[in-house]
Order: sequence, then structure tokens, then C-alpha cells
Amino acid sequence: MASEHLPSEFDVVILGTGLVESVVAAACSRVGQRVLHLDRRSYYAGKWASFTLNGLLSWIDEQNTTLASEEQSKDWSALLEEGEDLIGLSTRDVSPVTNLQVFNYTRSPCLLVARSPCLLVARSPCLLVARSPCLLVARSPCLLVARSPCLLVARYQLLRECFCFSEEEVEEEEVEEEVEEEGQDQTPARETEQEEKRRKRLSYAELLKEGRRFNIDLVSKLLYSRGALIDLLIKSNVSRYAEFKNVTRILTCRHGNIEQVPCSRSDVFSSRLLSVVEKRMLMRFLTSCLDQDTPLLYQDFAQRPYLEFLQHHKLSENLQHFLLHSISMATPDTPTATALTATRHFLQCLGRYGNTPFLFPLYGLGEIPQCFCRMCAVFGGIYCLRHSVQAVVVDKSSNRCKAVIDSQGQRISCSHVVLEEGCFTQNATPTRWVSRAVLITDGSVLPSEAEQQVSIVTIPSESPVRLVELCPSSMTCIPGTHLVHLTCQSLGSAFQDLSPVVTRLFQTADSDHHDQRPGVLWCFYFNMSEGLGSEVSELPSNLFVCPGPDGSLGHDHAIAQAELIFQKILPDEDFCPPAPNPEDVLYPGEEPGTGPSHQGEEPQTSPSHQGEEPETSPSPQGEEPQTSPTHQGEEPETSPSHQGEEPETSPSLQGAEPETSPSLQGAEPETSPSHQGKEPETSPSLQGEEPETSPSLQGAEPEKIPVQPENGTQG
Amino acid sequence: MAGGSVSECKEYLFKVLVIGELGVGKTSIIKRYVHQLFSQHYRATIGVDFALKVINWDSKTLVRLQLWDIAGQERFGNMTRVYYKEAVGAFVVFDVTRGSTFEAVSKWKHDLDSKVKLANGSPIPSVLLANKCDQKKDTSNSTSLMDNFCRETGFLGWFETSAKDNINVDEASRFLVENILANDKGLPYEETNGDRIKLHQETVAAESKSGCC
Ligand SMILES: Cc1cc2nc3c(=O)[nH]c(=O)nc-3n(C[C@H](O)[C@H](O)[C@H](O)COP(=O)(O)OP(=O)(O)OC[C@H]3O[C@@H](n4cnc5c(N)ncnc54)[C@H](O)[C@@H]3O)c2cc1C
Ligand SMILES: Nc1nc2c(ncn2[C@@H]2O[C@H](COP(=O)(O)OP(=O)(O)OP(=O)(O)O)[C@@H](O)[C@H]2O)c(=O)[nH]1
Ligand SMILES: [Mg+2]
Repeated sequence: MASEHLPSEFDVVILGTGLVESVVAAACSRVGQRVLHLDRRSYYAGKWASFTLNGLLSWIDEQNTTLASEEQSKDWSALLEEGEDLIGLSTRDVSPVTNLQVFNYTRSPCLLVARSPCLLVARSPCLLVARSPCLLVARSPCLLVARSPCLLVARYQLLRECFCFSEEEVEEEEVEEEVEEEGQDQTPARETEQEEKRRKRLSYAELLKEGRRFNIDLVSKLLYSRGALIDLLIKSNVSRYAEFKNVTRILTCRHGNIEQVPCSRSDVFSSRLLSVVEKRMLMRFLTSCLDQDTPLLYQDFAQRPYLEFLQHHKLSENLQHFLLHSISMATPDTPTATALTATRHFLQCLGRYGNTPFLFPLYGLGEIPQCFCRMCAVFGGIYCLRHSVQAVVVDKSSNRCKAVIDSQGQRISCSHVVLEEGCFTQNATPTRWVSRAVLITDGSVLPSEAEQQVSIVTIPSESPVRLVELCPSSMTCIPGTHLVHLTCQSLGSAFQDLSPVVTRLFQTADSDHHDQRPGVLWCFYFNMSEGLGSEVSELPSNLFVCPGPDGSLGHDHAIAQAELIFQKILPDEDFCPPAPNPEDVLYPGEEPGTGPSHQGEEPQTSPSHQGEEPETSPSPQGEEPQTSPTHQGEEPETSPSHQGEEPETSPSLQGAEPETSPSLQGAEPETSPSHQGKEPETSPSLQGEEPETSPSLQGAEPEKIPVQPENGTQG
Repeated sequence: MAGGSVSECKEYLFKVLVIGELGVGKTSIIKRYVHQLFSQHYRATIGVDFALKVINWDSKTLVRLQLWDIAGQERFGNMTRVYYKEAVGAFVVFDVTRGSTFEAVSKWKHDLDSKVKLANGSPIPSVLLANKCDQKKDTSNSTSLMDNFCRETGFLGWFETSAKDNINVDEASRFLVENILANDKGLPYEETNGDRIKLHQETVAAESKSGCC
């Protein structure tokens, strides 16, 4: 399948399939560049990947084992010509994740093969095969097969019933009975029968069995409904490869309780947390934030802490909390100007698709880079995983890349090279880290009538923690579970930063008392580097390095970087013009709607389709004749390197609509939502967030019925 | 998936993958089937994800078949999940004049089964196509051998096809669709797609897409 030789000439060679690299790949391929897109890994999306549970376990395994092995670099000088030089590339991550820790909390008998350091709290008889240092807290008779130093903790009685077979030393430790006893014995009494049943249902073995139905992201982000990524997905038609779910709730953690933050107009009016006076104040405040001349209002405060600004406006403590932590997602000392910009963005994103500003892709964030890769491939880009670039060939006199040498020692010439960050071994030291935790839980942090909620929770703290809770219908976890992502800027290790939050919001098996909090079934902590800074000072002018994921919630930075790189490569080309809809592409000699087998074909390709040039366009080499489409009003595209075509037909979101900027004033909940879906800065209305008015708005026209599941039946 | 609308007529949308080695005739088969075309010239179609074939299955059933070609580029065997996502059937194609393409069939089948499954965990129905049979020299090739191979590898069946002479292409497709329809109850994952959001840019008037799935 993968045995062929690669062609030896491309326009752009891209290494790494993370979001930025993939967007650049799609953009270049889309306008006719010959793209070679490689990844040394066996999976797509790099640090942006999602894994099945089993996939994640092997990935964790890899992170723990491959650290040591450093490939010896070969001598490629034979492939060089006069006046050329080599820049060697690292063939594995320079800045891998660190501090990986896995925790299993299981109440059912289980077999656990621990390949990474782990803590197992066993309430039922378990077999633990430990290949890494482990701590086993046994509350039932257990069998421990240890290949690494382990610590087994159990009460006196139990310790006699636990067996250890070890190749390494195992320390056994008795613990006093008191606390344990209490926890153990009183549990059943306090838990309702139903609770008990729910908890019993899922064992670790069952999680593993259904492991392929998890899609666990390494990076936890959301898409702002009017953010750069959504706009790009729509503009380019890459959106056809993905489906989304609305984030349905914005929650915050206050005084140890989880509360729903009212942020849309309907939420504000129906909130039981707010008094009538507060409701009015909040609406007035939010409305003024959207006002074009807000800057005047906060002039004096621009650089002063947002909290002072809120206090100055005499907002109640309730409101200060919501506005500061959940809506602007700031810290108390964030400058007012910054916080208000964030607030505005938040408000502008409300109502486009639902009553929160955020969307989440089905099957996880790792889908998004792959969607761009597919677009690149459809336009001729060539893909190879498990394939890397060993070195870049640079012309000394011009300081430009001429070629790359791949892992098979093949010299591939190209005019541009795009690399993921971390390719240069030298002086790459991560500057900032993000602390992450991934939890599989057995319930929601805020149970509600509507079962399937996707929630974001902001948890104020020294380094504010962002928690995203995904439900099974997001296709990231199995029924009966939720997948929880925690993220914060690192102060210490991920475990130090996040475990206090985890133990506050969830029951871990070693929790002493039992209550309504959801239980944690499985948990994984790790730190991921955020940005490497500049790795090499004098890069060849046609070599570009893509940043990895940052710790922020949105994707604006990544998309901006991708566009910047694209513009440097192809200054005169359009960035991701819409790809034609496959159903609109007609072939010569084909008469739509005739012939028995054709009946009813493409009923919805109405001629009013705009901006979709059907193109059966030339192969990258450009020697193919153009097959001309027969549809009226659609422009065939002849040149693979066309520039700036389809300007007037493109229904992309930019600048298309006249300004409609209804303000919030006139606070009656119901007004026409028909302005939505355009220009972010012109329709900053809080209206239309009522989910029932437009639960699934699309980019352009709210009247459209956009729900078109991949396998959807139509008619 | 089953979208019983107001009328009795049921409409289905099936995503079917067409995979196999380089040059075995995947694109030719799709073009023959969907567009009644055949060309000797090697042509890579750029910019198109899939071809759509609408079949009036019977008086009560309309089937819209999306045939997803491997963008030739992904032929190195590294298709994204986007390609496999929610596929309900597959054709694996080989070229009867090149033995090596037949040897690769089990690799493709294995890859397919590892990447996509029906909701019940079983592999998606797939059919083996022995293409370019118009060029076949010896007719002796034993049918029972192929039947055995299909049983062992997990294909529903196989067809000798020719995109050039239009042999068995419709039949193979009919055979696969029959099986997909029979599987209809067990299609991928949850049926409750009601709150899924697709981002669109078209400004076409709303087609009445009853997106129940
Ligand atoms: C976008 C998407 C669409 C899906 N659509 C369907 C569907 O329509 N029907 C259906 O039944 N199932 C679907 N799934 C689930 C998918 O089929 C299973 O995850 C897949 O079949 C793997 O199953 P497995 O048991 O072989 O996994 P595993 O054995 O766990 O994984 C197989 C191998 O792939 C690797 N791997 C797994 N996931 C990743 C990843 N994300 N990135 C990198 N490597 C990975 C693993 O490390 C492992 O080596 C979908 C999943 C995704 C992500
Ligand atoms: N004689 C004969 N030639 C065929 C048949 N089907 C395809 N071909 C020829 O085989 C060649 C390759 O066909 P394609 O359809 O491009 O093959 P493909 O599998 O799509 O190839 P890639 O996309 O490159 O992997 C073309 O020259 C076709 O004309 C057939 O049934 N009989
Ligand atoms: Mg082809």
C-alpha cells in the first residue's frame, strides 16, 4: 500500500500534520501548488490529535519509552551539490509532554497492565501487572505482578490476602484501619441504590472494551462561533467534513458550587441566581459593552484591572464573578481594555449557532486538522505518515531551501518548506507549559434534565482552570460516561495544578465521603509545552515554522499564523477559496436529470449556488484538459494557479452584508433574528440566543435548514 | 438512517468507499457507474470528494450513493479519518492483469476494518472487484478459489468487472447496496443526530432536508 516512491519534486513540502501545518497545506494545494505533507508519527494531527482510549494508552506508553532513544543522524553529504548546506532536523519531538500520570479508580474487579507510573485504588479484587513504578491501594484482595518497584498499601487483614509476584522490590505497607474502615463501611449506606448501580456499571475493563469509541483530545479548545477557525471552515468549504455540537452551558465554580452563568438574554431573564435589579444591571452593562463607543466609557480604566472597573460600575458580587471569570475569562488583574475586548467577542459569538458562543467538533478536535488534510489531498496533495524529513538542503549564497532529504534518503526538491515547531534540536527550550488533565467520569458536574450537555466551567484560581465536559453525543465518550478536560497555565506539574480541582469537583475512589458528585473512573495528568519561542535565529527565507497549540481557548492565533505563512509563500493568492461542492460537479456528456438511473440526481444543486466553481481541474502538473461544466452561472476553473477568482460570487462571510447592528436596548426578548450569521462586528446583538429560534444556524442565512448529517436522509 | 418522511418513500444516503492499489480502475469504475463514461487516459480528478449516484431502488426507496474515491494522493495508504468516517460500505478493487494488486487486497481490507466499523462493532460490508476483466487472458481462474478468498478475508462477494466494457458494475453496486440496506438497523453509532450542526455557506434556498438519521 505504501511502497511506492515519492515524486522528487514539489512546490511545498510540509512536515507535521498539526492544525497550522494542515491549514497551510490545504491553502497551498487549493490554489494549485504541489504539496507533499509528511508526518513522522503514525497518526494525524500531532499535538492536536485525538486518541481512542486504547490509542491514548499506547501513546502514553510511547511518551514514557521513546524519550531515551536518539537516532543517530546519517551523513547525507553525498546528496549535496556545490554551494549547498544541510540543516539537520530532529526526528522526534523535542518538547514532548512531561509529568504523565495515570490514575484508575475502579470499583469492579479489573485487570490492569500499567505501563506508566500509576496509582490504582482498588475496591474490588484486582490484578495489577505493573511495568512501571506503581502505587496500589488495596481495599480488596489483590494480586500484584510487579516488574518495577511498587508500593502496595493495604490494611492489615487485606495485606495478608494480597499477593505479590515481583521481579523488583515491592514495599508493602500497612495502614491503620480507622479512616479506611469508615469510608469502606459507610459507603453503601449513604449511596442510594441507584447511585450504587450507576457506579457499578462501568469497570475499567469495560472502558477498555469500548475504548475505540472514545476520542480523547490532547489539546482542549473550543471554537468561537465567530472565531477565525469557524470563518475559515465556512469560507473554504472544509466545513463539509465536520459536524459540531453546541456547547450548551457556561458554568462557573463559586463557593465550591457549580452554577450556570446567565450570558444570553434568555438566560439572564430566566436566571434564578439573579435578582431583578441585577438582571437589569447585567443587561445594561452587556449592552454598553457592545456599544461602538465603549472605549470612551473605560478610557480611564483601560490599563487598570478589570475588577476595579466592575467595582466602579457598582456591579454586585454575583455579577462581578460572572463577568470576570466566565464571560471575559480574565483574572482580577487583567487590564480592563483586554477584558472588555474578550467580553465583546464573547457577546458577538452568542446566538450564531446557539445560546453560548462555542462549538465543539464531533469526534474531537483532532478532526479539524484532518479535515484540512483531506481538502489538501482532494486537490492533489500527497500524504505520508511515518515519514519524516531528516535534513533541509540550503543554498548557501541565497540562504534559501532547495530541497529536503526524507527518512529514506530521497532528495526531494521544493520551493518552500513548512515545519512544525520542535524540528530543530538545538536550543529549543519550552518557554511556557500548559497543565492538562483528562478524566473519564460517571456523571455530569451539574446534572440536568437535558441529558446531553456540553459544558465549559471556569474555575477561578491562582492559575484559572478551564474545564470542558463532553457528553457521549459529542462522540468522544461512551454512554454512561462524560469526558472531562481540564486546562490551565502551569505553575507546577499538572498534578499539582489540577488535582485539587479534581478532588473538589469529583469523587475519586479514595474520597472519604460520598455525595452527589460524579465519580472519576480514569484520570490522566500531563504537561504540554506551549510555544518554543524562536528556535533558530536565521532561518532560510523560504522556510517557515508553525506554532503548536497555545493554551488559549480559541484558535485565532493558529489560523492567523497559518494565513501569514500562506501569504509569505504565495503573496498573490487567495487564502482558501471555497472548494466546489462534489454534488455540483458535472462531467462532459452528462445531462443532469435525464436517463432513468439519473433521475432525481442532484436535486438540490440549484443554479443559485454561488461561489462554487465546479472544477474537474487539471492535475498539479497542469497537463490535463479542462472538462467544462455545464451548469449555468458557474465558472470553470482552468488554471491551477488562478488568483482571486470568483470574487463576486463568493458567499464567504467577509464583508458581504450590509450593516445591521441592532443593539440590546429595547430589552424585549423577541426581535427578528434575521441579521445573524454575518459580520461579527456588525451584529453584536444578544438576541436570537433562544435556542428554539435557531438551534443550528449556519453561516449565512438563518432561514436555512442546516442540519445535514453525513448519513442524513433527505427529502 | 431510515428517514421515513411524510410520504411512504424512504430516502437513504450511503457513503461507500472505493479503495485499492494505484491504477486498478477505481476512478474508471466510478465514472462508468455514475457518469456512464470511460476514458483510456489516465486522469486524476482534482477537487472532488465523491461522486453521487441516485438509485430508484424500488417504488418506496430512493438511495443516494456517495462514492468516495481515494484522492490518488492518499494512495500511500494514509487516508484521514474524514475519509472513513461514517462509511457504510466499500469496494476493494484490484486489476486482474496485475497480480501484485490482488496481493494488496487483504492489506486494504485489513486497513478498512481497522478504521471503520458498524455500530454493532462488525466490519462494514465490502465487495471485491476484479477489474479490467475485458483484458483477462486465461479464463481458467477458478471461481471457487475466489469464493474461498472472500470468505476468509471477509468480503460479501466478488465480481469480475470492466469499467471499459461496462461489465458487472451495476450488478456489483446493486449487490453491495442490498447488503447495506439489510444492515440498515445497525448503522454507525447513535441515530440521534438532531442537535448536530453543519456549517454551510450556500445561500441556496432551504432544501427540505429532513435530517433524521
Ligand atoms: C472521525 C471518526 C469517525 C468515526 N466513525 C465511525 C463510524 O462511522 N462507525 C464506527 O463504527 N466507528 C466510527 N468511529 C470509531 C472508529 O471506527 C474507531 O475508533 C476505529 O474503528 C478504531 O477502532 P479499534 O477498536 O480498531 O481501535 P484501536 O485498536 O484502539 O485503534 C487502532 C489503532 O489506531 C490507533 N489510533 C486510534 N485512534 C487514533 C487516533 N485518533 N489517532 C491516531 N491513532 C489512532 C491506535 O493507536 C491503534 O494503533 C469513528 C471514529 C472517528 C474518529
Ligand atoms: N481495459 C481496461 N482498462 C481499464 C479498466 N478500468 C480502468 N482501466 C484503465 O486503467 C487505467 C487506470 O484507471 P483509473 O480509473 O485511473 O485507476 P485508479 O484506480 O483510479 O488509479 P489511481 O487513482 O491512480 O489510484 C486507465 O488507463 C483506465 O483507462 C477496465 O475495466 N478495462
Ligand atoms: Mg483514481
